[in-house]
Amino acid sequence: MVESIVSTGLAIGCIYALIGITYNVMFSASRVFSFTAGMLGMLGGVLGALFIARLGIPLVVGFLLVLAAGAIFGVITEIVAVRPVLKSLDQHLYVLSTLALALMVQQFTAIEWGTEARPFPRLFDIARGGFDQQFWLPMLACIVVIAGLELLYRHTLVGHAFLAIAEDTFAARALGLPERSLRMASFALAGVIGALAGFAGGEMLLAFFGNAPLLTFYGFVPVALGGMGNNRGAVVAGLLLGLFQQTANFLVGGIFASVAVFTVFIIVLLARPEGLAGASAQRRV
Amino acid sequence: MVTPAAEWNSGRADTRVVASTIGAALPFLVLLAVGLTFPLFGGGYWGVIATRACVYWVLVSGLNLVVGFAGQLAIGWVSLLTLGAYTTSVLVAGNATPALAPYLALVIAAIVGAIFGLIIGLPALRLRTFYFAITTLGFATIVTQVALAWQSVTGGGVGVPGPVFPKPFDSQWGFYYFCFGLAAICTWMTLNVAGSRFGRALTAIRDADVAAEASGIAKPPLLALVFLFSGAVAGVAGGLFASLQSYITPDAFTLDLSVLFFIAILIGGHGSILGPLLGTILLTVLPEFAAPLVAWSTFLYAVLLLVIVLAMPGGIAELLDFKNRRPLESGRAIVPRPELLPRVLGGPTDAGALTLHQVALSFGGVHAIDGLDLEIQPGQVHGLIGPNGSGKTTTLNVISGYYAQQSGTVRLNGVALRLLARHRRAHLRIARTFQTPRVVRSASVLENVMIGGTIDGEATFVESLLSLPRHRRDEAALREKAMLALATVGLERLAAGRADRLQHSELRFTEIARALMLRPAFLLLDEPAAGLSADEIGRLGALLVAIAKAGTGVLLVEHHADLIFDICHHVTVLNLGRMLAAGTPAEMRSHREVVNAYLGG
Amino acid sequence: MPISAAEPLLDIAGLSAGYGKIGVLHGVALSVGANEVVALLGPNGAGKTTLLRAVSGLLPWSGRVHFAGRDLAGTSPRDTVRAGLAHVIEGHRVFTQLAVIDNLLLAAYDLSRGERTARVEEVFALFPEIAAKRRERAVALSGGQQQILAVAQGLVRRPRLLMLDEPSAGLSPVLVDRVLVVVRRLREAGTAVLLVEQLIEKALALADRVYALARGSIVLEAKTGEADLPQRLEHAYLATAHRHA
Repeated sequence: MVESIVSTGLAIGCIYALIGITYNVMFSASRVFSFTAGMLGMLGGVLGALFIARLGIPLVVGFLLVLAAGAIFGVITEIVAVRPVLKSLDQHLYVLSTLALALMVQQFTAIEWGTEARPFPRLFDIARGGFDQQFWLPMLACIVVIAGLELLYRHTLVGHAFLAIAEDTFAARALGLPERSLRMASFALAGVIGALAGFAGGEMLLAFFGNAPLLTFYGFVPVALGGMGNNRGAVVAGLLLGLFQQTANFLVGGIFASVAVFTVFIIVLLARPEGLAGASAQRRV
Repeated sequence: MVTPAAEWNSGRADTRVVASTIGAALPFLVLLAVGLTFPLFGGGYWGVIATRACVYWVLVSGLNLVVGFAGQLAIGWVSLLTLGAYTTSVLVAGNATPALAPYLALVIAAIVGAIFGLIIGLPALRLRTFYFAITTLGFATIVTQVALAWQSVTGGGVGVPGPVFPKPFDSQWGFYYFCFGLAAICTWMTLNVAGSRFGRALTAIRDADVAAEASGIAKPPLLALVFLFSGAVAGVAGGLFASLQSYITPDAFTLDLSVLFFIAILIGGHGSILGPLLGTILLTVLPEFAAPLVAWSTFLYAVLLLVIVLAMPGGIAELLDFKNRRPLESGRAIVPRPELLPRVLGGPTDAGALTLHQVALSFGGVHAIDGLDLEIQPGQVHGLIGPNGSGKTTTLNVISGYYAQQSGTVRLNGVALRLLARHRRAHLRIARTFQTPRVVRSASVLENVMIGGTIDGEATFVESLLSLPRHRRDEAALREKAMLALATVGLERLAAGRADRLQHSELRFTEIARALMLRPAFLLLDEPAAGLSADEIGRLGALLVAIAKAGTGVLLVEHHADLIFDICHHVTVLNLGRMLAAGTPAEMRSHREVVNAYLGG
Repeated sequence: MPISAAEPLLDIAGLSAGYGKIGVLHGVALSVGANEVVALLGPNGAGKTTLLRAVSGLLPWSGRVHFAGRDLAGTSPRDTVRAGLAHVIEGHRVFTQLAVIDNLLLAAYDLSRGERTARVEEVFALFPEIAAKRRERAVALSGGQQQILAVAQGLVRRPRLLMLDEPSAGLSPVLVDRVLVVVRRLREAGTAVLLVEQLIEKALALADRVYALARGSIVLEAKTGEADLPQRLEHAYLATAHRHA
């Protein structure tokens, strides 16, 4: 039993962590949070089921198509919902524009794909049981993303450019860095990560349009607790969240587990609004 | 009675005011008439739609204060509809307690709504925007799930019958009039709040929160009041909703509904009552016309939301704001009337000097202020100059209470000012302006200036809600005083115009008018001459001299050497957070070290 | 590379710019020749930083700005850098989370990999003190070293004109001298410099010509050799020049 809680908890925690990283990558590039992170996770699962199960496309091709779709939706987020509002005087419009976009995609999915959760195809033809692929696929995805981002940010010029834009957009612009393309690329990357999360977690979460609001909330908890823009914090917080949720599930049942998670989340957030690891911001007049 | 306002307003202005009041009331009167006579031309099905619109508006009217006025993005407010609906239904059905009368159950739903409105809303004081929005969404999900799980009381997935109200409200049209009546009352109450110091204070918190603090507005109690009220009406709306549906289950309270409420306010435009009202009616009615596309209604709402946000953030309210489309007169000049100052300031104060003694404040490793002594006398203009980074603005921020010094004391009349909450300094009649004008762009110039007088109001929130006499007296007095302040700075002709149509220099003088509303013993100005023409700087100088003459102590932080040397009685030069020299302007001008430091050498 | 003797390298006329509704610059005229160091002085709030930001494309502006014969209307900062005009903004804002060498490589983002490394090595040769710290993160550098790094970033693209915004701000006198030595070397190497500075004496010691900006327009233009320059500058800064006109 403990085994099951741990493997489910870690696996789902990895999915939450990846959505948290999606939020973070978008935030680093634009200083703005987007409601589309959860939507991207949902699309990863739904499109994966659509391409592979329903359309019969081979696994690798289908997988790449899902990632490409993620990148496209990431870029759409930037162009449609983020770029236009960054210039405006009202700083909070991005909440509404990204919410609108996420809702549009979510509703479209509900109408075209259906409102029921459909099964996600089994990716590798191995027998079920033990440490099953539905558990290690999300974990593998998480490890690959963490390692990949580390490589990107530490050892590539583009990664350095992303860090520069995240730290000081104005100085980056003055230096001649192509700020707009870099931001679009960041959002494309975020889209890929989100879609990957949904695809890897497809078997656990199923292909379901309702995953969007679910992942929007549970994917944000790692960001809030781990600190804005802090990917490592997001992973730790995500794993803890997953384990806590599964334990609560086991002890008090599904509904009250959600209440428990939410209550703990709110309490921690009120005590430390910048997250458990974050530093407090300095207000300036 | 001849009011001061009449002394310089021509008779034409009076009729303009009357005409605009009728113009503002007309849409509401039309809606009232349509609503009252609706049963005459609407069929049974449309009766349900109309009732539903009324019920939604009861909730949205309250949420409008939270979202549209206070600017708090409470996306998950549907949770209060759920709570209200279940509370009423469960109490009437007698599932958990002995069955109660529907009206009593409705009142209890209002109380429950108020309490939970406060619980959901208060995190807004601690959390940044997106975080708060997400927590309200989380709460909405939780409430629905609890409704699903608590089967013994709520009937779980099977649900519970909604309450039926006794005669005459048990028939379709009877119930319609009940809901319509409540909707009308809510419209009236929120209109009263919008036109009260509370409504204006909310918009100040939303758009210019440092200016709100500087005007003495305390955010937590005000937001608490708004959440209580909005929660209460949302609870009532829930009870009505349950009755309308006849039977409620958890999946009646979807996220879509929450988004609908939110979008109604956005479409309507913030800071407006009429806009969201029309928005609610529109969104309730729209699915009925788009019948083949019913399943797409949420999709269309989302598209509508995106379009509004990108193309028309001001919403319907901005579209309907005809009077603000008329061009303002060009070539207008700001002509202050310092002779009106004694009436605005109300006579010299008996405040002593404002002194800083060895004040120090560091940010990170940087000593912004490093042991500063300063004394501002009432009745004098005191200039504060120095190179970039010398600590001028930081000093002003410490005096105005925005920053707390880490050591040293700030004394007023010999009494040390404790490190109070930021909004308390206004009560000590210390007023200020900002380097970049902080105004509520979508409000009128007059309303912006009235914000400066918020703390003078005596009517409570409830009195304003119900438009009781004390509220009306407050408003009349405040309006008169604000017009006087505007006339003093020379902007009374622009009083009714929207603030975002003003030129930069006019916004600066508006800020001064707003500061004058506090009847300041001390007025602190942060680089007011920036962006002003030479003429305007001259008039500003004359106004500041007159303000000092009327007894106020003026602290002028400036770069413009001319202005400083022209009008200051006393000048302090800062460098690297410390006083470099102090004396009369003539002394400073020839002081070798000052010249070097000021020029940088 | 010679350009026609008639037209200066940087030619500004009637430049107006500001932030939103606040107009800061009103009809500024200024020029910098191909091998000159020009100092731009003026009290705070006069618009010196705004001027540099407008020229490099960080702010919208109206008027006329020509660089090396090319009209800069509507060009982005990225394109002005490509055209040979580098802007080192105020406040030694380097990317603290990146290594020194990565800070420089970013400045050469648009170049091919080989070119990039070559240019960065060139710049390291000019500034041994930061070459010694090439692998360290910029956050470990002192304020003065960060300023030198910022100037080095500006030089990676071998600009024809380098605009420096208050390179001495917040630095101790020793470091200030260090930075200004760099400026002198630039002129010797054939790069023109437009230097915004608060330290008048030091700026005058370096520059060929000087402009004074006050309240958004040029109030003085002179060669640094001229005799009564210090008094004229003081007058321009502190006096009510517009009233006496």
